[in-house]
Amino acid sequence: MLVLLLLTSITLITLDTRSNGGGTTSTARNAARDAISPVQDAVGDVLDPIDDWFDGVTRSGDLKNENARLRRDLVEAVASAAAGRGALRENRELKELAGLTYAPGLTGVDAQVVTASPSNFSETVGIDKGTDAGVIVGMSVVTGDGLVGRVTSTSRRRATVLLLTDPKSGVSVRFEDSGALEVASGRNGSKLLALDVPLDAKVRRGELVLTSGADPSIFPGGLPVGTVVSVRSPAGALSQTVLVQPLLEVGHATFVRVLGAAVEGGSR
Amino acid sequence: MIRYARLTLFLIAIVLIQTTVMPYLRILDVVPELALVATIAIAYREGPETGAGFGFVAGFATDLFIDTPLGLSALVFTLTGYLIGVVQGAMARTVWWAPPVLGGLGGLVAGLLFVGIGTLVGQEQLWALRSLRIVAISACYDAVVAFIVFPIASLACHSDGPRTARPSNTQGW
Repeated sequence: MLVLLLLTSITLITLDTRSNGGGTTSTARNAARDAISPVQDAVGDVLDPIDDWFDGVTRSGDLKNENARLRRDLVEAVASAAAGRGALRENRELKELAGLTYAPGLTGVDAQVVTASPSNFSETVGIDKGTDAGVIVGMSVVTGDGLVGRVTSTSRRRATVLLLTDPKSGVSVRFEDSGALEVASGRNGSKLLALDVPLDAKVRRGELVLTSGADPSIFPGGLPVGTVVSVRSPAGALSQTVLVQPLLEVGHATFVRVLGAAVEGGSR
Repeated sequence: MIRYARLTLFLIAIVLIQTTVMPYLRILDVVPELALVATIAIAYREGPETGAGFGFVAGFATDLFIDTPLGLSALVFTLTGYLIGVVQGAMARTVWWAPPVLGGLGGLVAGLLFVGIGTLVGQEQLWALRSLRIVAISACYDAVVAFIVFPIASLACHSDGPRTARPSNTQGW
C-alpha cells in the first residue's frame, strides 16, 4: 500500500507541475477553496480584532518608533506637498510625451485580505474576490502605498496573491533617480527585496524604486515598490547588491486593489 | 464504519483549523502543521499502514490550500506516517513524553523531506537557510500542539493505546 500511495503522490505532483496552474488539479483546489471560504470569513470576523490586539501588544515598541517616524515624515511631507503638486503636473505631461505604460487612472477591483498563508513556505494572502469579480491570474495587486504582489491563483470567490517578498516573486523595477532597470526578488530570511545592479549604476540609499513596466513584466510601470536601504559592492564583485524595503508591510494590508491591467504572456 | 466516519470528521476539523485559525497563531512567522501532527498521532496509535494512509489523505487535503505542487505534502505525510508507525512498533512501552518527542521529530523529518523533495520537483526557493529555521521552529511548535492533538486523535481512533506496543512489565521470552 505504501508504494501505491507514494506512486499516487508522485503522479499528482507530475500532473500539477505539468498543468502549470490549470487542469483538473487546479479545479480541485478552486473547489476546495470556495467551499471553505464561508468558514474563513466567519473565523476572520471573530479573530481579526484579537489578532490586531495581539499584534499591538507584541509590537508596541515598534509602533512607538513608527509613530515618531511618521510624525517626522508628516512635517516633511507637508513642506514638500506644494512643490510636489507642480512636479506631479510636469511628471504627467512627461509621461504622456514618453508614452510610458503607467496611467494614473488604472481601474481595478477593491478586495479585502481575508486569509494569510496556512503554509510556512510561501508568503501569500487570500483576498475575497475571485473570477466572479473579474480577477484573473497575473493581475497586479496594490494598496495606496504601492505594489503588494500579483494574483497567482483564483477561484470563483477567492484569489491568492503572491507577495513581493516571497522568494518566488520577481518584479522588473526602475530606480527613480539613476534609472537603472533590474529585477527585484523576494529575499530569504527577511522582508526585503534583493537585486543585483551593475557597478556603474549610481544607486543611493533612500532612492525610490518603481515598477519599470518593461516588456515582458506583467506589472504596470510606475507603481511604487520600495526604497533602497542598503547598497553593497564587496571587493572583486561584478555587481552591487541592493536591498529594497517595500513601502508597506506587504503581509499586513487589509484592503487592496486588484488592477485590471494584466498583460498576457509574462511570467514576471 | 463509525470509526472511519470519526477519522474523516477529525481530518476535516484539523484541515479547517489549519486553514482558518492557525494563520492567526503564528509564532516567529511560523505555523504548526496540525495535519502532520494528526498523521503522527494516528501512526503512533495505529501503526505504519494506517499512518501512511491517513498521511496521504491529510497531506492531499493540505495541498489543496497551499501553493506548492499538489501531492507534495501527500508524499511527505505518507512517508512520515509510515516512518512514525515503524518507530512506534519498535517502542517497548508507551511513555508520557512520546507525543511531544514524536511530534517534534516527525515535524523535523517531514520539514526536511518537504524542503528536499520540494527542491527536486522545482521549488528551488525552498533550498535556503531560512527553510531550516522554519523547519526547526515548526518542529518545536508541532511538539507543543502534539499534547492536544494526540488525545483527540486517540478518541477519533477509539483506541486506548498503540496496538503494537507491549506492556512495560514484559520481560524476556
